[in-house]
Amino acid sequence: MAPSAIDPPVSAAVPALPVPDEKTYPPARIYPMKEMRFEKHTPPQPDGREKALAQSSGSAAIVIDNGSSAVRAGWSFESQPRLSLPPIMAKYRDRKLGKTYSFAGADCYADTTARGHIRNAFEAGTNIVSNWDVMEHVLDWTFLKLGMNSAEGSIDMPIVLTEAVVNLPYSRKSMNEIIFECYGAPSLATGIDSLFSYRYNKGQTGLVVSSSYSSTHVIPVYNSKAMLAQAIRLNWGGYQAAEYLLKLMRLKYPAFPGKLNASQAENMLRDHCYVSKAYDDEIRSYLDWSGLEDRDVVIQYPYTEEVIIQKSEEELARQAERKKESGRRLQEQAAKMRLERLVRKEQDLEYYKNVQEKLADANKKETKRLLDAEDMKDEAHLERTIKELEKSVKKARTKDVGGDPEEEQDVPSFELLDVPDDQLDDAGLKQKRQQRLMKANHDARARAKAEKEAEKARVEEEERADRERRENDLEGWLEEKRVARNDTLQRIKDRDRLKADLGNRKSLASQIRMKSIANLASDGPRVKRRRGGDDDNFGANDDDWGVYRQIAVGENASDDEEGEEDLLGNLKMLEEDLLRYDESFTHEDTFEAQTNWSKSLLHAFLRGPRPFNVGAQSEIHQLHLNVERIRVPEVVFQPSIAGVDQAGLVEIASDILNQRLVGIPNINRDDFLRDVFLTGGNTLFENFDDRLRQGLTASLPADSPLRIRRASDPVLDAWKGAAEWVGSSGYKTATVTRAEWQEKGGDYIKEHELGNSYA
Amino acid sequence: MSAPTEAQIAHQELIDQLDIHSIHKSFRSPHWRPNQRRNKNIKTILGDASRKEASIVATPQDDSGAATPAAIENDGLSTSGASTPAAPASGAASLQPNLAQASRSLSRLALEKSLRPNGSGGAGGVASSAPSATYTNIESAPSLAHSRRYCDVTGLPAPYLDPKSRLRYHNIEVFGYIRSLPQGAPEQYLEARGAHTILK
Repeated sequence: MAPSAIDPPVSAAVPALPVPDEKTYPPARIYPMKEMRFEKHTPPQPDGREKALAQSSGSAAIVIDNGSSAVRAGWSFESQPRLSLPPIMAKYRDRKLGKTYSFAGADCYADTTARGHIRNAFEAGTNIVSNWDVMEHVLDWTFLKLGMNSAEGSIDMPIVLTEAVVNLPYSRKSMNEIIFECYGAPSLATGIDSLFSYRYNKGQTGLVVSSSYSSTHVIPVYNSKAMLAQAIRLNWGGYQAAEYLLKLMRLKYPAFPGKLNASQAENMLRDHCYVSKAYDDEIRSYLDWSGLEDRDVVIQYPYTEEVIIQKSEEELARQAERKKESGRRLQEQAAKMRLERLVRKEQDLEYYKNVQEKLADANKKETKRLLDAEDMKDEAHLERTIKELEKSVKKARTKDVGGDPEEEQDVPSFELLDVPDDQLDDAGLKQKRQQRLMKANHDARARAKAEKEAEKARVEEEERADRERRENDLEGWLEEKRVARNDTLQRIKDRDRLKADLGNRKSLASQIRMKSIANLASDGPRVKRRRGGDDDNFGANDDDWGVYRQIAVGENASDDEEGEEDLLGNLKMLEEDLLRYDESFTHEDTFEAQTNWSKSLLHAFLRGPRPFNVGAQSEIHQLHLNVERIRVPEVVFQPSIAGVDQAGLVEIASDILNQRLVGIPNINRDDFLRDVFLTGGNTLFENFDDRLRQGLTASLPADSPLRIRRASDPVLDAWKGAAEWVGSSGYKTATVTRAEWQEKGGDYIKEHELGNSYA
Repeated sequence: MSAPTEAQIAHQELIDQLDIHSIHKSFRSPHWRPNQRRNKNIKTILGDASRKEASIVATPQDDSGAATPAAIENDGLSTSGASTPAAPASGAASLQPNLAQASRSLSRLALEKSLRPNGSGGAGGVASSAPSATYTNIESAPSLAHSRRYCDVTGLPAPYLDPKSRLRYHNIEVFGYIRSLPQGAPEQYLEARGAHTILK
């Protein structure tokens, strides 16, 4: 036992370690993961068609907003689209049933096989249809659900479709082909979705900013007529934003156990992202600890909790009891066996003693007979046997009683050692040899004991000196400890650097290592030999062997770990001393606290403002959205963030307003400023309008009459506008009849205020 | 094989209900046979269109008169704007610009053509005086503004660049993280920023 522990005044002198305060955290804001799901079967709605047939001819039409995020379809005389479906389909053949299945829209998500066969009508990330089979399927589904299956041979209703800004002639031709040839519609009118939305919101002259699913357009509109030649497209929309967010999340959590997909990213984008009013300022302090609680959003993915069987107190107690019981039984058995052996030995001893007594008063012949009966050579043998038995009986007895046989053993006699060999007979010599061995043994034991004592005294002395020094010169003592601590820190750092360097093949450390390996392995004459003698003297110095240790570092992990433990343990002891006696050194300053998660920016980024429990399944299945919340929507203003080599929305809008619209005769640029109109799903982000206003204000003259407004419903207004447009004079001039199409060609359209020009 | 469970039967019923393959669609024309190769991506469409332009120009219009362009128009595969009824309408006047079009892209071509005074469509003075828009030429030009640099990992402002992985980073901690990334991961970070190396 350490003397300091027995000594009461010393133990009182060691102050207890200060206890760090425990922090508690408010519960995190956790949102469940959302993704596109199959909701329910949509039955056909024949009532719409009946109503349409009841209308006067030409005033009812099927209106389809053919968007890349969703196809919305309904009747022109209604205020809402009846159907909304993603432009996807899935078709597969069930071989077991020998039946082909095909689904369209959200129905594709109803079945796992179907989900695997989903195809999109639009070319990924654009507003151009590239897969016409899918398009046809989606239209089939739409017409079926609108109750058109009662029509014979053709769709007997005019159709209004939206199309991309400056749609490609080939796309228009293919669409016309489908509408007129496959469906046999009497007439078709096409227009641009964002312009329909603008019309619905009573816009006359202004700048339409339409940021939708696959692209962002800025279109000036003058007197209700789109100036498409001045329109600009930015290839960034909700789809790209979702893909970008998905990419970021996959990079952020490379080992995430759940499955991440674009539809989940879309939901995250919609629910948690917003446009920052001052991006650079906000992002700089986004991961600061103050307020991170509010900025960090946790998305919880489904998980199964690992079942840990909780044993009751009683059960645990019973288990411990059982264990103890069996141990006791074993002990008892062993004791019983020992006792039996002891009894036997005692009996033997008794017997041999009897024999010895008999020998005492027996003649020579009798003695020989007795000894032969016991298989003994001579009396000495008998004596030795008796002695041995006595010893072992004694040993067994003391063991049972619990004494220490070593301690109690008295110093054996070594009297024969001093007697010269020539005075001894054979047996004496043998005994002498034995005694010599025993003496060596005894001496070694004594030496070790003395050494132990000395070491103990030395430690004690050291501690005492340390204490004395501390008491006399606290400042100096503390300084010493601080220096030692810094030294240890430096050594830890150096070791880490060496480890990193060894990982790099080209580093100096690696090269030195390779050189020494090569030196050790080579049998041929070395450089050294040329200079000096034939022998390289390797091994003469003990330090030479260190080279093997050196080259093993980095590969031999256990060796490395040992060293690490040592350094860290050292550091911990030093820090404990400092914690005890240095008032300026607190738990905050310890190495552990310095490298703690709460100091780590990456922890804030990956795991938010709370400690991360590696073992909790729930936390492993969590995504933290923080920087991404403003980083992703920002791309539409700074496309370079996501590697899109185009100008941002503000730059585009101010270019149109400041360069393209000035200098055109009869046009007042300020008319456009008075009505900057936002539509499309990607403008739904909070602060989108504020951000655009800020950006444009900076690039416009001081008192420009800038006014920015949002569409009443940025998503559905395009359809509503198109529905409203049906029956107007503009609609009548814009419809292309089947006859006209047949006569004038595949991609024929009539130019009108809300549509594309005929190139 | 075990008998289908109740859930499986219900699912099968749902699928049968949702399936639109087995429904006879009376509104579709029974004679509709779509072109087997109608699915094209934008690149192909634009490529085809510009090839068409080039072939029109290559045709010796002086010799064959109006017959050749008409034949091209009627082949049913016409995709480009130039083979629309507007083209022959301009007649000999369009010959001169057409010759110059041979080596030009579609967007330039359309631009030039719309510069010609045409009285089409009652578009009003504003629209018709400007060059017409095409899918390619309304694309936004590269930004003239100075692009800011953000950390590839955290998205924070990044004053530093790791010369080894070419990643931008915010501070030394992120740098340590970058250096600990497995092989290939830095390239993925670069790809998110569009700065990755593309091997062709």
